[in-house]
Amino acid sequence: MKRKLASAIVIAGMMVSVAACGGNSGNDSKDAGPESWKGQTLTVWTMDGSAPPQWSKDVQAAFEKKTGAKLKFETQKWDGIQQKITTALSEDNPPDVLEVGNTQTPAYAATGGLADLGDLKRSIGADWTASVSKSSVYEGKQYAAPWYFANRVVIYNKKIWAQAGIKSTPKTRDEFLKDLDTIGKKTDAEPIYLPGQNWYFLDGLIVGQGGDLVKKQGDKYVSNLADPKVAAAMEIYKKYAAYSKAPKDKDEANPQQAAVFAKGKTGAFIGMGWEAATAVQANKSIEKDLGYFTIPGATADKPEGVFLGGSNLAVAQNSKKQSLAKEFLKIALSDQYEGELAKLSGVIPNKESLESNLKGNAAAEAAAPGAAVGGTTPLIPEWAAVENTPNPIKSYMTAVLNGKAPAAAAKDVEGQINQRLAQQN
Amino acid sequence: MSVQTEGTDTAGGPAVREGRAPAPPRGADRASRSPAGRPAAAPYLLLLPALLATLVLLGWPLVKNGMLSFQNLNPRQLIQHLTEWNGFHNYQQVLTGPDFWKVVERSVLFTAANVVLIMLFGTLIGLLLARLGKKMRLTLLVGLVLAWAMPVIAATTVYQWLFAQRFGVVNWVLDKLGWHSMADYNWMGSQFSTFSVIVLLIVWQSIPFVAINLYAATTTIPKELYEAASLDGAGAWQSFTFVTLPFLRPFLYSTTFLEVIWVFKAFPQVFAMNEGGPDRLTETLPIYAYVEGVGNQHFGVGAAISFLTILVLLVITSYYLRMVLKQEEDEL
Repeated sequence: MKRKLASAIVIAGMMVSVAACGGNSGNDSKDAGPESWKGQTLTVWTMDGSAPPQWSKDVQAAFEKKTGAKLKFETQKWDGIQQKITTALSEDNPPDVLEVGNTQTPAYAATGGLADLGDLKRSIGADWTASVSKSSVYEGKQYAAPWYFANRVVIYNKKIWAQAGIKSTPKTRDEFLKDLDTIGKKTDAEPIYLPGQNWYFLDGLIVGQGGDLVKKQGDKYVSNLADPKVAAAMEIYKKYAAYSKAPKDKDEANPQQAAVFAKGKTGAFIGMGWEAATAVQANKSIEKDLGYFTIPGATADKPEGVFLGGSNLAVAQNSKKQSLAKEFLKIALSDQYEGELAKLSGVIPNKESLESNLKGNAAAEAAAPGAAVGGTTPLIPEWAAVENTPNPIKSYMTAVLNGKAPAAAAKDVEGQINQRLAQQN
Repeated sequence: MSVQTEGTDTAGGPAVREGRAPAPPRGADRASRSPAGRPAAAPYLLLLPALLATLVLLGWPLVKNGMLSFQNLNPRQLIQHLTEWNGFHNYQQVLTGPDFWKVVERSVLFTAANVVLIMLFGTLIGLLLARLGKKMRLTLLVGLVLAWAMPVIAATTVYQWLFAQRFGVVNWVLDKLGWHSMADYNWMGSQFSTFSVIVLLIVWQSIPFVAINLYAATTTIPKELYEAASLDGAGAWQSFTFVTLPFLRPFLYSTTFLEVIWVFKAFPQVFAMNEGGPDRLTETLPIYAYVEGVGNQHFGVGAAISFLTILVLLVITSYYLRMVLKQEEDEL
């Protein structure tokens, strides 16, 4: 007995235990419609930076007035969001409405965790921009409502550019690189802050080269990272990165590139329009020096390709407040509030008719030309797994920046990518 | 960490053995046991709360984890609460996959490097403690306890700052000392340098436990033995090998064993430092289980890896386990 006990304790001490999620429950929806709304609380998850405070406040007021229910916004971080949403969707009381990134939406639609929003599409979505709405359609059904779109621009420090004696913003890639060179020579500022793993910028460059990250082989998708077009995009990236002292093995969020830029010793960075607000938050005095321009392409008539990041709003299948959640979507996505969002954040709204709200927003005006030639990551359910940490494409980028040939670096990670693409659901 | 405190008394050091009370006379023993059989049950009753806690907090998750390891469990199954048994498929996939054995090898080497360094420096500092004067000993003890008490993540963050590429103190000092190529050195850039920082952190965190334990062990050595040894003409080295070491041996065994367990399953230090990077090259078994299971949302496979991790650890520690079991058998 004693012996068994001793070994039992020892063994118990070694356990690397993974807490299990147990319990089954049917989806007994007790949704009685508008009469039952009063007194309920609807939980909405939005991502860090998506919903401006003013917008949240206005939507909340309108929602609470119309339904008599309470509305609770909860902000989530992008880091580790996939695991968090998976867990949340499996719960009996999930957040009712969630913001889901456009490239991740097909994967969640495939898991069955998102409610079918076909009726919503019919009632309010007739004029949603088709390209924007594409990511939320899976196997012919609408699993999310498109919320907004955004793409990267160059955010630059006018003071530093003036110090370097540069009069106008560049119209081509070569001009841009030459300007960075000038800044490096004539000022003591870092010409551009570009960490080695800003992979959405690389994705934009790949779009610009007409490349694709996956290709179809039989009925399966496999990695296309070894494609010369991808290598060409990576070479462009490398040219830009040569003007930066940023770490080659970090992405733009670690440290926050806007916070680095806010110190006033960086000529430019490539980011979302709203990252300017982050910079201003870190250093108020940078505001007057902020400028934006479209990422220039090879020739002046066609801007650089960009990754069209965007977000959809989805309703959790397990939510017991389906009708209330849809009512929220109707309010939040109404022309009034969708327009307000575009105006406040400078993001591209889900309807072309609302784009007039972007007038006068310098960041949005710089972004618009890029959006026309933008693209996304492959919109297939298998894709989301590739972006899980550690993202093999980021490893590829670091390897190339450290001097490895693109083809060899691609070869190193393709096995990993294919394994992830082949993951069964 | 509770493991370590639990484990120390199974070590059966000389102090414990000496302190054992003489067996009660037979008659008394029988008299107290026979009437209601209650005294015999008392020890088990006293053990019950601890056993229950172990069962609920470790046993049950373990059973659940075992069940998960035989399931195909991905986001779809998790969200829809589906149970899809797939037999040994997860184990088969892991064991025949390209990564697992590499990670096992890495984990074993990592554990060995850490434990050797911890035991070496821990023992030296423990012996130093025994020889120091009162004030210095107290100072050193306080320093050790503080290092031991530092929360793991806090310590890891501090080390990250120390070794930061652009603004880290370590690079700055190296640069000032004239080693200019280290001014912008990226410690997290390669497998070896990342492991170096992690090993330094873990060794620093673990030395106090070993040092204090061994210092405690030296206090159980009767002074007369040293006198006798010097009368017999033993030098410093001989009195160490013939007097000190035999007393320390059981402590050395038990702390080594505990450090092996502790280092092998070290998760927060390794993961928080660089998330198993660069390029997954610093993933040890616990990190690998986490990245595959939770990170890649392949929960069944992750559970299988964590079970294999336990098996590997059992194999590594089997030598000591056998020794403990044999010792207890001899004593019965």
